[in-house]
Amino acid sequence: MRHEILIVGRGGQGILLLGRILGLAASKYSGLYVTGSEAYASETRGGMSRVDLIIADSPEDIDYIRVRKANIVLFMFPYDLEGYARIMSDDAFIFLNSTYVKEHPYVTRRAFSVPYNEVAEQVVGTSRVSNIVALGHLVARTGVLGDKQVEEALKEIIPEKWLDLNMKALRAGLEIR
Amino acid sequence: MRKAFISGNMAIAEGAIIAGMKFFAGYPITPASDIMEYLVERLNEVGGVVVQLEDEITSINAVIGASWAGAKSMTATSGPGFSLMVEALGLAVISETPLVVADIMRTGPSTGVPTKTSQSDVLQVRHGAHGDHIIPVLVPWSVQDAFELTVKAFNIAESLRTPVILLSDAVIAHLWESAVLKDPGEIEVVDRKKPMVPPSEYLPYKPDEDLIPPMASFGDGYNVIVESLVHDEHGYYRQDSDTYRRLITRLTSKIMSNVDKVFEVESYYVNDSKYVVVSYGSTARAALAAVRVLRSSGVKIGLLRLKTLWPLKPEALREPCRNADLVFVAENNTGKIVADVERFVKNAEVVSLPLLDLEVPTPDEIVEGVKEWL
Repeated sequence: MRHEILIVGRGGQGILLLGRILGLAASKYSGLYVTGSEAYASETRGGMSRVDLIIADSPEDIDYIRVRKANIVLFMFPYDLEGYARIMSDDAFIFLNSTYVKEHPYVTRRAFSVPYNEVAEQVVGTSRVSNIVALGHLVARTGVLGDKQVEEALKEIIPEKWLDLNMKALRAGLEIR
Repeated sequence: MRKAFISGNMAIAEGAIIAGMKFFAGYPITPASDIMEYLVERLNEVGGVVVQLEDEITSINAVIGASWAGAKSMTATSGPGFSLMVEALGLAVISETPLVVADIMRTGPSTGVPTKTSQSDVLQVRHGAHGDHIIPVLVPWSVQDAFELTVKAFNIAESLRTPVILLSDAVIAHLWESAVLKDPGEIEVVDRKKPMVPPSEYLPYKPDEDLIPPMASFGDGYNVIVESLVHDEHGYYRQDSDTYRRLITRLTSKIMSNVDKVFEVESYYVNDSKYVVVSYGSTARAALAAVRVLRSSGVKIGLLRLKTLWPLKPEALREPCRNADLVFVAENNTGKIVADVERFVKNAEVVSLPLLDLEVPTPDEIVEGVKEWL
């Protein structure tokens, strides 16, 4: 088993947090080997944020630290939509946050457009957890990790007072059809 | 033992704690700052102290003092800060002070491109301090490796009474990976040798047969002398060639006679290889991927991944390259360790693959560099 996951978004959307939760869920709670790297602009809000995650059964299956052929891609914001096609496999799962991604070049591929901000707003009452809604959707649709493992990682990383909100967001994402 | 998903810098901090570090002094500098930030919260939980001082010069001198007070000690910095530390590093060499300096390489010279990665300081750490010396340099390529090599750095520092450099880079510093944090017992932890003789018979720089003098700390009741001048076994300054020669020979021999404890290299697919890539640190991650890409197209190529950059063990480089026609040295600088490989590997042509990247080099760059010679 080996997955290459690419997550792209805008600073402030919780892209790095999303990567940490997925990484923790895969490593500590699923017993898999994970390599994750982050790239982000120097500003706190705005600018591109990117997380590369490589998940495998064994450390021998991971060498280079960056994604070279992503099989799971999430765009929370439309940064270089076409350019990233160079590092995706043809049958990659492509998730697009249609709140911001209004047009994209992946209409003929396995792409899922969901307005994660609106879903978060409607179900949880705030679009700030749109990243966790997207996480739930990505996990449910790809089966890359179990729901329970992702919940455990959320519990470990998210501060107590925000946990309910985030668990609700995760469930909303898991239920997207 | 604990499983974790942490960054390379966090792994250095955790490794230091497992190794028994009780004192950390530093001055913030990207990409090393988060080692201190992490330790500020973690080290007092295990009875240690973190101090942020006014600069790097004070930091390493405080580390030397703390080590003489009996605490396993460490600092962390990057190229510009390391430049300020080299004078005191020499003091640590001649006073035989166990300490660890984590140097997280970023782009230079001077302030370079702050926060971007580089491997251009591999010779600075080796030769920065003046005078004759051999300071061991370890270089991790993963988060697990950062943890284990930090423990090893402390073990070498304590057992050989020497400063040790843990040389990471901005990529490994902020790489997040699965790691297994082993406890003492699951990973070897070494403490410095204490004097067995009564204080009246103790000579602070008199070595045992292994060339290492037992080290009394301040407050142990022994006469302790921290001497930066060339000294005899009493720690008294002497300016004759015999004393000088004896001291310098011992300081370098104590490292070289333990080269097997210090030097480590990992090999991948080298046995049947006509071509070998030598690499280290974050660049070696790209090199391993490049080797696998080339092998999948039928090229008999392997990788030697250096875990130690200094001292090197010539036969450990020579032997895996015995059947090679070409040896490539891939490093994220203008080509530095390649000079050593040329010195040691005589039966093959040695080719430098200098990569000057602000991000981690890509496998494609190495594949293309190799293909030009096939």
